[in-house]
Amino acid sequence: MKTWKISDIGVLLKNSFTAIMKGEFLLRLNVGKYFIHIIYTFLLFALIIWVSLMVETTMAKVESQKAQIRELKIINSQKVYELAETTRRSEVDKRLESLGSQVGEREERAVKLN
Amino acid sequence: MEAGKTNKPKKRDRIGVILYVFYVFMLLMSIVLIGGIVYIQLFFRPDKAIVEALTPNDQIRKIDPVRGNIYDCNGKLLAISCPSYQFYMDCTVLKDRNKPEEEEAWLDKAKELSKALADELKDKSADQYYKSIVEGRNKGNKYLRLTRKVDYDTRNRIVEFPLFREGRFKSGMIEVRTDVRQYPYGELARRTIGFVRDNSSDVANTHIGLEGKFDYILHGTQGREYLRRTDRGRVVNSDSVRVQAVDGKDLHTTLNIDYQEIADKALREQIENEEDLEGSCMVIMETATGAIRAMVNLVRDPKSGKWGEYQNVAIGRKAEPGSVFKTVTLMSVLNDGYITSLEQTLPATDGKVEGTSIRDEHIPQFARQHSTNRISVLDGFKISSNYVFAKLAVDNYGKKGGTDGTERFLANIYNYKLGDAFDFDLDGLQTPTIPNPGTRYWTNTDLGTMGYGYSTEETPLHILTFYNAIANKGKMMKPYLVEGPSILNSAVCTKAVADTLTRALKAVTEEGTARRLKDAKCSVAGKTGTSFGTFSNGQYFDAQGRRKYQGTFVGFFPADNPQYSIICMVYSYPTKKSFQGGGIPARAIRTVIDKVYDIDPCFREEIGGKRKKNK
Repeated sequence: MKTWKISDIGVLLKNSFTAIMKGEFLLRLNVGKYFIHIIYTFLLFALIIWVSLMVETTMAKVESQKAQIRELKIINSQKVYELAETTRRSEVDKRLESLGSQVGEREERAVKLN
Repeated sequence: MEAGKTNKPKKRDRIGVILYVFYVFMLLMSIVLIGGIVYIQLFFRPDKAIVEALTPNDQIRKIDPVRGNIYDCNGKLLAISCPSYQFYMDCTVLKDRNKPEEEEAWLDKAKELSKALADELKDKSADQYYKSIVEGRNKGNKYLRLTRKVDYDTRNRIVEFPLFREGRFKSGMIEVRTDVRQYPYGELARRTIGFVRDNSSDVANTHIGLEGKFDYILHGTQGREYLRRTDRGRVVNSDSVRVQAVDGKDLHTTLNIDYQEIADKALREQIENEEDLEGSCMVIMETATGAIRAMVNLVRDPKSGKWGEYQNVAIGRKAEPGSVFKTVTLMSVLNDGYITSLEQTLPATDGKVEGTSIRDEHIPQFARQHSTNRISVLDGFKISSNYVFAKLAVDNYGKKGGTDGTERFLANIYNYKLGDAFDFDLDGLQTPTIPNPGTRYWTNTDLGTMGYGYSTEETPLHILTFYNAIANKGKMMKPYLVEGPSILNSAVCTKAVADTLTRALKAVTEEGTARRLKDAKCSVAGKTGTSFGTFSNGQYFDAQGRRKYQGTFVGFFPADNPQYSIICMVYSYPTKKSFQGGGIPARAIRTVIDKVYDIDPCFREEIGGKRKKNK
């Protein structure tokens, strides 16, 4: 049974460094048969990066559409407020007067025809 | 492997060498990168200023909830949050980088901007605007307030003005947006609706009106989300926690803003030219439910002298109610069976009530005019005689033969909910003051004066709630603005007693102190009341003989089939003028009743089937 020595680590590092320098590291590890898997993994990484960029683009669109919705809500609340202002009795009177209308406040109670 | 080894030198091809060099280069770069990462993670300590400058300062975005709207009973909008915009200016923009001719061009554009602002806002001249910009530029002002708060449409026009349209980096334009609470009906019911500047303002210590009391419903819950910076700007970081903002809920009130405006206008018409008046209020309540349809509180601003909704008088001011309290005494003696008919009479001679210092000078006058020495309870009620009601209280609840009915009288008052502050939809309802015979302040006269509305202090809302119970045939409804109808006391009196009281109250408006209401569009039952406020000397008049008046009218209409109860109260500064309950309050109420009668669907005339008549 082979016994390990501290110096073996040094040899291992030296061999690995030499293999890396020669560009043979993966071959030395004998993972050539997994080459397709390594390529696949890299493809997945690339896909993740691409999807992340797409998500980012979508999120940016969401933000811009949120801003548009906020803008529309502002316009809506502004218009609702302006509309409410015009329903005030005195305001209606003033508008009718400015339009030269003969219509005024009711002076008799309403009649309901059954 | 060793066996196949030859001594022939290895021939390297050119492409292989290039690839190898490229490989080595990439390898070295990766080593540098990994080394850099290790260094940055473990050893690098950047300058704090650089960290601050490069770290995004708003990683967390607060999501403000939208404050709920407030509506009246017909769905009309009473309060809404709208954004408002204010423009500031960094006057130093490009100042150091501009060449002289560029600076001149910038100032020319600033002049055009000033003109456009003056034309749009009409609050300052173009010269004033320009002067402030130039001064700001000379002094290095980076945050000059340029405009007042403007609405969305105006904002859109302003950002297109000369200079501003070039963007903030060239013009120095700074735009600040805040959500401001808007009230489409302005001052109407302002004290009842309440006031908040915007949803982010804390209203915890200013529980004014419905905005304050129901802030926990209207406010909503703030949310938050984390943002990350990307090439396309900041986007929500989907890996982080996101707390959704919950918008505030809308509040539907019982107020009818049309009635509020009618009441407000009617009251203003009456008080506008009365310089001696200090404050007033008017409340309209639906008889069957206790729903408050209008609550006007007009108080004079001591500085400007203008009337405005500065204080909720209807619930927050208690004072001696005066003769409107006589109805309480009358209900008490009718309930307890001390009198069985309004035609029952009392002696009408000198107007003195035995055992007290009370003396009513109107009684001898009444006796002379009617050639009689007796006065009926109904006549006493119609002319609002203090003597009659003091005597009713003292004779029936005073000490006699070793028994004392005072406690019973007081118990009746508490039973009519005139002694406690009930739970109301607005904060600040005052607790009435009812004297206690057990204290040293109690005098023999107190029972008699209570009989006609002194020695006690009540708010207008308490008085109205009591009269509404009479209109409702004894069922006392709790006044409410939001929460829904509830009963305070299911029977403060029997239906027969309520009918008797209604007859007495009708007599007041037909032949008594409130004759102004006789010709109203529908019949009215009610009571006037006038009381005097006390001065620091303990008297009801000051050294110049001036009095502080409180005039009240309270009642309900139509008298025979009551739909609404109403109270109007005015009070004065010390004055020599007289402000009686039958004066300003009755006139204001008459106007309101006539207008409400014309527009309220419950008063409409039906033709073709059964003809409905409310008059």
